[in-house]
Amino acid sequence: MIKFDSVSKRYADGREALSDISFEVSRGEFAFITGHSGAGKSTLLKLILAMEAPSSGQLIANGVNLNRISATQIAHHRRQIGTVFQDHQLLHDRSVYDNVALPLEICGYQPNDAARRVRAALDKVGLLKKEKSFPEALSGGEQQRVGIARAVVNRPSIILADEPTGNLDPGLSAEVMKVFQQFQSVGVCLLVASHDAALIERLNCRTLVLKDGKLLADQKPRPSL
Amino acid sequence: MSATKRRNRNPDQPRARRNTRAEQTESFANRVKLHRRIARGSASRLLETPASSLVTLFVVAVALLLPALLFGLNSNLASLLAGFQDSAQVTLYLQDGVSEVDGQEVSESLLTRIDIEDAYYVSPSQALEEFSAASGLEDLLQEMATNPLPGAIVLTPADVSPAAVDELARQLQELPQVDVVQVDSLWLQRLAAISNLVSAIGSVLAVIVILGLFFVVGNTIKLAIENRKAEIRVIKLVGGSDMYAARPFLYTGLLYGLGGGILATLLQGLVLTTFNSNLEVLMQLYESDFQLRGFGFRSALLIVVAGAAIGWAAALMASLRHIRAINP
Repeated sequence: MIKFDSVSKRYADGREALSDISFEVSRGEFAFITGHSGAGKSTLLKLILAMEAPSSGQLIANGVNLNRISATQIAHHRRQIGTVFQDHQLLHDRSVYDNVALPLEICGYQPNDAARRVRAALDKVGLLKKEKSFPEALSGGEQQRVGIARAVVNRPSIILADEPTGNLDPGLSAEVMKVFQQFQSVGVCLLVASHDAALIERLNCRTLVLKDGKLLADQKPRPSL
Repeated sequence: MSATKRRNRNPDQPRARRNTRAEQTESFANRVKLHRRIARGSASRLLETPASSLVTLFVVAVALLLPALLFGLNSNLASLLAGFQDSAQVTLYLQDGVSEVDGQEVSESLLTRIDIEDAYYVSPSQALEEFSAASGLEDLLQEMATNPLPGAIVLTPADVSPAAVDELARQLQELPQVDVVQVDSLWLQRLAAISNLVSAIGSVLAVIVILGLFFVVGNTIKLAIENRKAEIRVIKLVGGSDMYAARPFLYTGLLYGLGGGILATLLQGLVLTTFNSNLEVLMQLYESDFQLRGFGFRSALLIVVAGAAIGWAAALMASLRHIRAINP
């Protein structure tokens, strides 16, 4: 589903954010990316989302070669990916409902169909009662959950999340992970950047460890006893 | 596994399939609903900043009004000219030595030509009578020992087009009895030339105005996009195309053009009414009931549609250019 083959990303100022990264995440797999801040977690997610282009190496996500992708292909590619951003990226002049409905509107869903899906997504993150609120009226954790609802509403084939539990207490974090695991169980490929060591330990998923732009370790989940 | 079997196993399956189809093709009614919502959003955004929206609207309206008025006045001038065209006359002033009988003869012989509709002879004494009556110089003219006016033939050409009248005048100048040929329609030709010039100026002005409108609307859209950069970034991040992000701005441009066009037709009506009340006084002096006519429904519609089209196109150019530059 996502395949990095010796991918490097150098910025114009010569800084190398990622160097020679190779790994593959398949359908229905749930993988964490961990590492200190500045290790390249966000850059890695940006590459998959085609916000940045790789400097060298080959990157294929969802069957699309991201080395050669046109502007219109980028828009189409992003529709297949649900993304939870660290800074939420919500529209502040639209209600929670409209924010979550945005990916459906872009794909041209029937309003009735969209309403059903939006409510289901909001229900999953426990924000059904807040659908008429505006993002500014919500707490950081609630905004984060709106972002999560928007990421999953379109039933994407890939879910990317950058510190999705950064603003959430342990109880809510567990809830969100449960939502993610539901998607994993229906074949969605999840890639979650996090440095919540306790959470990663508890979930026992595959973990990619980044350090200074290099892939330090690719830890497989411990065999269950 | 057959489809029936699968449906039996999972009752949710057909619904899921319908949804994928919805993803790929937007239904027409759905599209219309979405566009209506976007248009409403754009309109309410314009109303949020009424002062600046109104200024832009007025700029668009005035820009459209200038060439519209010029074309309008010119079409009035053209119709006025058309009314005069039938009365094109050619006057042949005869040589001093030509007697009244000879003059009559020449006049009658001219009537046989097919390029002449009508001709009649005016004797020197008749001419003097008419002149003194028309000029009010009776007393002065009675003092004169001899009649200074020559005999003349007034004729109406069959073909009143400037070229035909010129050709006729050239031929008649060859007649030995004729001293001077005067084409009365010369001033009409000059007026027609002026009318052509006015319409040429109108065309150039229209081009300048369209360029100006592109600049004004484009700049307004650019500012609007600048203000909503964050929103466009989010739309692009969740997979909205540039065209999707541009839609609200296209409606903004369309509304500016449409509103400006409607305002321009209203202003034009106002200008014509003002002109007409002044013109009425002038035309009474000429015993004419000529009135400036408005553009009528079709021309008004043309201004509105042209305004809307220019607004939309300007917005399309500006928004695609500026939205493309926003990289999330």
